[in-house]
Amino acid sequence: MSATLLLVRKDLRVLARSPLLLGALVAYPIVIAVLVGLVAGYASSKPRVAWVDEDNVPPVVEVAGRSFHVQTIVDEVSKNVTLVRLPAREAARQLASGRVVATITVPAGFVGTLETAARSPSLVLHTGTGALASRVTQQVQALVYQLNRRLQGAFIRANLAYVQLLLHGGGGSFLGRRFDVLGLDGTQRLLASMPPTKRVKAIQSFVHDARAGLAQTGAALTATAHPIELRQPKSHGRSWVLSSQVQSYGIALTVTFLALLLAAGAAAAERDEGTIARLRRGLVDRSQLVASKVALAAAVGVAVAAALAIVFGIVVEAGGVTGGEPWQRVPLLLVGVALAAAAVGAAGVLLGSLAREARTASLLAVLVVLPVVFLGLVPRGAVAAAWWVSQALPFAHAVRWFDAALYDSSPWRAVGVQTAWLLGIGAVLFGAARASVRRLTL
Amino acid sequence: MTTPLLRAVAVARRFGDVVALAPTDVELHAGETVALVGPNGAGKSTLLSLLAGALEPSEGAVETEARVGWVPQRPAHYARLSARENLELFARLERVPGDRVDVLLDRFSLPPDRPSGDLSVGNRQRLNVALSLLADPQVLLLDEPTASLDPGQRRRVWEIVGEVRAGGGAVCFATQNLEETEHADRVLVLVDGRVVPASVDEVFA
Repeated sequence: MSATLLLVRKDLRVLARSPLLLGALVAYPIVIAVLVGLVAGYASSKPRVAWVDEDNVPPVVEVAGRSFHVQTIVDEVSKNVTLVRLPAREAARQLASGRVVATITVPAGFVGTLETAARSPSLVLHTGTGALASRVTQQVQALVYQLNRRLQGAFIRANLAYVQLLLHGGGGSFLGRRFDVLGLDGTQRLLASMPPTKRVKAIQSFVHDARAGLAQTGAALTATAHPIELRQPKSHGRSWVLSSQVQSYGIALTVTFLALLLAAGAAAAERDEGTIARLRRGLVDRSQLVASKVALAAAVGVAVAAALAIVFGIVVEAGGVTGGEPWQRVPLLLVGVALAAAAVGAAGVLLGSLAREARTASLLAVLVVLPVVFLGLVPRGAVAAAWWVSQALPFAHAVRWFDAALYDSSPWRAVGVQTAWLLGIGAVLFGAARASVRRLTL
Repeated sequence: MTTPLLRAVAVARRFGDVVALAPTDVELHAGETVALVGPNGAGKSTLLSLLAGALEPSEGAVETEARVGWVPQRPAHYARLSARENLELFARLERVPGDRVDVLLDRFSLPPDRPSGDLSVGNRQRLNVALSLLADPQVLLLDEPTASLDPGQRRRVWEIVGEVRAGGGAVCFATQNLEETEHADRVLVLVDGRVVPASVDEVFA
């Protein structure tokens, strides 16, 4: 067995005999996976929202001459929330106790205002004070948006009816009052029977232009109602994107944290125990020493990531999260984990060598890992300098690798590019770590 | 004059601006025992580490074709591994036959299966010495080997020194205990990182 493998086996044995660390390594992926699974589950779950009807909304409401079956429409548009009809007091009680995350109140006079089609009635939203409030507000905004979309079609049709009345004339009503309109057609006929004086010709010209203009009103009203339409093409991904992203970040964070701490601690421990001097007496060269710690980080990273993916998969499958866990992609994911953990492990050896003492190395690793992770979360357009710095570190590439492995229907291009990045960064870090382990023998 | 088993030529070591050992020449010949004495910080451990190959010299070179065993001042082994596992690991790294492990465990009466971190200070130092003997060294370098041993264990260490010397090997040991120089054929006195021609009595007067 090579010296590197002997050292890896030794480090794994040492790790297995550190009960606290081993317990943390077993518990960590379980806790993270359950938390990540719950987040993914929550992201696809419907919040429970109270619907308080203080207007006694009838089953059928007539708006702009069109009948709406209220319950049917509410059921159709409330795809992202579960609406529960409750009296006002009970809704307030459940909001306070957290059984509902928000209340939507239909105030008295709502339907009457709506039926006039002259001004906008209001719904009243109360949300809880927890971390969910902003998401619930978004969900209710989406619900009201969907309701408005249904209603605006009726309003447009009603407004067009008034336009038709202006064009062609006839009987109409507004706010309950009936009236007769001559219309532009009738006006034109009247003008045709009159002597063609200069003034009559001017009025005929206006009627002609007005008819041409009003003929375009239908399209104009529709365009005004939908200045921009949002169309979402069907996704080409293989599993639900949020679930994959949450899992990618969870695994990347875990692997970065573990690999950095483990490699830094293992490298510095060789000096703490005095064994580095024994090893460096021709038994192990510097490359083998760094390689053994890198291999340790990769091995533990793969084991923990596999456990994380399995527990996460069980949680999301049990929770019925859309897309579920792409089990057949887990082996590909673990290849990426091995690469990422190795690159981070090389950084860990570098830190451990610079710190030269296990406790300092662990503290340094914790202090380093947080900014590295946060840098990896900075979008390209936000802070360009931060984004470029993150490109020189393994975390951002690990996230993209894992995301492609879990989500993309054809991941190979992304996997290839990120593999090249991780190998390049890993090689640079390995070289720096190899140069710095000399410090451990001082 | 016979060819020395180990020769250091103008070997020196600096840590930053601090000179831990000025250029020094040392030769260890077959069948001789050399004692290194000097006050704390004189450079004894640095010189032994350089001779052992555990520390890279800033200048000069150490030349040897012999198998060199080294007992560092502070026990150097893995605390979470047992004495047997430590010996087996270093035996495999040194490509030494596995049966050597049982011989050394028996010779030093070491508890084989307890984590070495749980052993007494004396047992840890015995493991430290045992590790240095894995490759059956021709040159044995010991850095204050008896500092934490009881009289019986000290006697055992000097027996080992005698065995190496009798087998045609060479021994160099550092000590603060002047009585131990009686085990040496030669005494090198180190002061402020330099070998000085003074006697032991002059240095410690």
